[in-house]
Amino acid sequence: MTKIVVLVKEVPDAAVQKQVDSSTGRLDRSGEKTLNPFDTHAIEAALQLKESGALDVDEVVAVTVGPSSAVKALHKAVSLGADRSIHLTDDALVGSDVVGTGYALAELIKRESPDLVLAGQQSDDGQSYAVGAAVAEYLGWPGLTQVIKLDVDGQTLTCERQAEYGYDTVKVTLPAVISVGDAINEPRYPSLKAIMGAKKKPLESLSLGDAEIDASKVGEAGRKAVWTGSQEPPAKAAGELIEDEDTAETVEKIVAWLDDRKLI
Amino acid sequence: MATRQRRLSESPIVPVTDERRELRDAVAQLVGRYGRTYFQDVVKRGEQPDALWADLGAAGFLGAHVSEPYGGGGGFADTAVVIEECAAQGCPIQYLVISPTICSTILDHHASDAIKEEWLHGMADGSKRMCFGITEPDAGTNTHDLSTTATPHPDGGWRINGGKYWTTGATVADALIVVARDADIGPSGKPTLSLFIVEKDAPGLTIQPLDSALTTAEKSFTVFYDDVPVKPGNLIGEQGKGLQQLFAGLNPERIAAASLANGMALFALEKASQYAKDRTVWTQPIGAHQGVAHPLAKAYIDVQLARLMTMRAAELFDAGSPAAGEAANMAKLAAADACLQALDQAMQTHGGNGLSLEVGIADLYFLARMLKVAPVSREMVLNHIAQHSLGLPKSY
Ligand SMILES: Cc1cc2nc3c(=O)[nH]c(=O)nc-3n(C[C@H](O)[C@H](O)[C@H](O)COP(=O)(O)OP(=O)(O)OC[C@H]3O[C@@H](n4cnc5c(N)ncnc54)[C@H](O)[C@@H]3O)c2cc1C
Ligand SMILES: Cc1cc2nc3c(=O)[nH]c(=O)nc-3n(C[C@H](O)[C@H](O)[C@H](O)COP(=O)(O)OP(=O)(O)OC[C@H]3O[C@@H](n4cnc5c(N)ncnc54)[C@H](O)[C@@H]3O)c2cc1C
Repeated sequence: MTKIVVLVKEVPDAAVQKQVDSSTGRLDRSGEKTLNPFDTHAIEAALQLKESGALDVDEVVAVTVGPSSAVKALHKAVSLGADRSIHLTDDALVGSDVVGTGYALAELIKRESPDLVLAGQQSDDGQSYAVGAAVAEYLGWPGLTQVIKLDVDGQTLTCERQAEYGYDTVKVTLPAVISVGDAINEPRYPSLKAIMGAKKKPLESLSLGDAEIDASKVGEAGRKAVWTGSQEPPAKAAGELIEDEDTAETVEKIVAWLDDRKLI
Repeated sequence: MATRQRRLSESPIVPVTDERRELRDAVAQLVGRYGRTYFQDVVKRGEQPDALWADLGAAGFLGAHVSEPYGGGGGFADTAVVIEECAAQGCPIQYLVISPTICSTILDHHASDAIKEEWLHGMADGSKRMCFGITEPDAGTNTHDLSTTATPHPDGGWRINGGKYWTTGATVADALIVVARDADIGPSGKPTLSLFIVEKDAPGLTIQPLDSALTTAEKSFTVFYDDVPVKPGNLIGEQGKGLQQLFAGLNPERIAAASLANGMALFALEKASQYAKDRTVWTQPIGAHQGVAHPLAKAYIDVQLARLMTMRAAELFDAGSPAAGEAANMAKLAAADACLQALDQAMQTHGGNGLSLEVGIADLYFLARMLKVAPVSREMVLNHIAQHSLGLPKSY
């Protein structure tokens, strides 16, 4: 029997204009929020492992660290097919950095002792791409990122990683922490029954004390990364528009442009 | 960070629950994989959007409002969201107003357990379809004049004789629900109606196409009934109670028609606003000209008002409120008018391109125009409101 934990985060909806609150140095999260779209790929990967029988999965558990509103992300995760969910929420967590979040998640995972932990490639807000790796480090398990194909053979996973220069094929033995790339699958949409039933699936809400997590290692108290300032990215120079009136002429212009810049 | 444009249908002005927001997003995700061109291709080829229908069924979206054992458990407000979002994604499926709406609702409320068991699961999961025939050439809006008649047969069951027209989707339905006059006058001494299920391959049934201007997948038909046998089990509910039983389906039908109109209007307004932002004819985008912007803004306001009344009507219906009928009628009228206005202005905004099939608005026009007369005409809605809301004398 195998248990899979999927790490999910609540993020501002992609339709909301995102801003950093310069007084706290944190993201302004006042707008509408949603489940991190990248995490739906991790949920889908877990469900495909379960449904295909590739792993003998008896439970998929969605886990989040986040403010009270994050229960909605958990409802979404269970409506997509997770069996139950765990929510770590505590005022002392506010302002946690990647390492702090990774530590807290690792402690939650230890309580569950799963065989496999799946995460998204990045959050849509913080987008440090690093939480999965931090979790693996704290657990002392192998950690893989950008996995876009998963093949199971007993306790061994053969993973294809999308790297800058091509594809890596890596074998790991469970337990492991795997962050999946968004090319791994096309996430499903929830069915009516799943949507209606989402609030009825078990949701465990824990404080730091409940989970016996060291408060000095998370939040403002434990953070090692500190936001110091921000500035607008430099404005890009306007591009040159070439109207295609006569194709031969257009090609000539493009070739001349590239030639000027020693690109050909 | 990913950014996306908020869909007009997501406006928080129209009341939502967490579940209904998720449902709308799920429908948008499902139908978005098909899109307007898929739908146009299906219509052009004279086919049905079967793949889309099957996906909607598999997700449970075709039976949201039917009783839980048959695949539902939600309310009609959920089905209204499904119908509206399909249309807002460029796939206005007329059949949604017929099979899951009018037919499933009547069966769920009135049919025997055996009929429900046989039909409702399939209608909710998309594997079975029913169409609905009430309109007759010589009866019109006045259902008291229906002449299609059900005569009891000595061997049990009935024989149906007569004819219906405008029966939509008859050739792709597994069965028809037929409204017929009872041959024998009941104890009240007045003619009564009953509802029957007629299987699609019943002997004596002739189905002829009725050409219309609509560019929809579902075609309409004239259906002749020549001594068509109906087995005893295929009477819906009680004999002679057809008219009362019909009411279960009429309010949902109006709410569904309104939702279809609202969705098409949102689709058109979304396209038109994008075009008005992108298209520059002089020095600014055309949307900067108030002659273009104001009519779009006004059309949007009317669509939002119609959406509010539609959702309200659905909520009243789900709560079993007697005010549901009044609200459903108002919603249907407001939605049909607002949709026509929105389509017209969206076409105008596109200039000549507004008439192109690539833009995909002009070919919605006749479906929207139909909603001004069917399932209930504008005049009959106004009659109802004048009489029941304002207490004016009955006019017919
Ligand atoms: C009360 C509270 C307030 C917070 N306020 C802020 C804030 O203002 N701004 C901010 O950016 N963050 C905030 N966080 C969250 C925390 O700081 C981030 O989760 C953390 O820094 C993760 O970095 P990232 O978003 O770059 O994740 P990435 O490393 O880009 O994410 C990769 C993957 O890791 C997993 N993951 C990431 N974060 C979480 C999580 N929290 N729970 C479960 N799985 C996760 C997901 O699977 C995700 O796809 C808050 C947390 C709490 C509890
Ligand atoms: C595309 C399409 C699909 C359809 N699908 C179906 C279907 O699947 N099943 C089905 O049974 N029917 C269907 N219909 C028929 C539709 O329901 C009727 O056309 C509609 O109810 C109007 O009835 P009628 O055509 O008989 O109009 P009539 O009753 O003949 O009315 C003609 C005109 O007179 C007006 N009028 C009538 N009485 C009054 C009055 N008392 N006061 C003021 N004005 C009045 C009407 O409003 C209308 O403008 C469909 C129609 C169309 C166009």
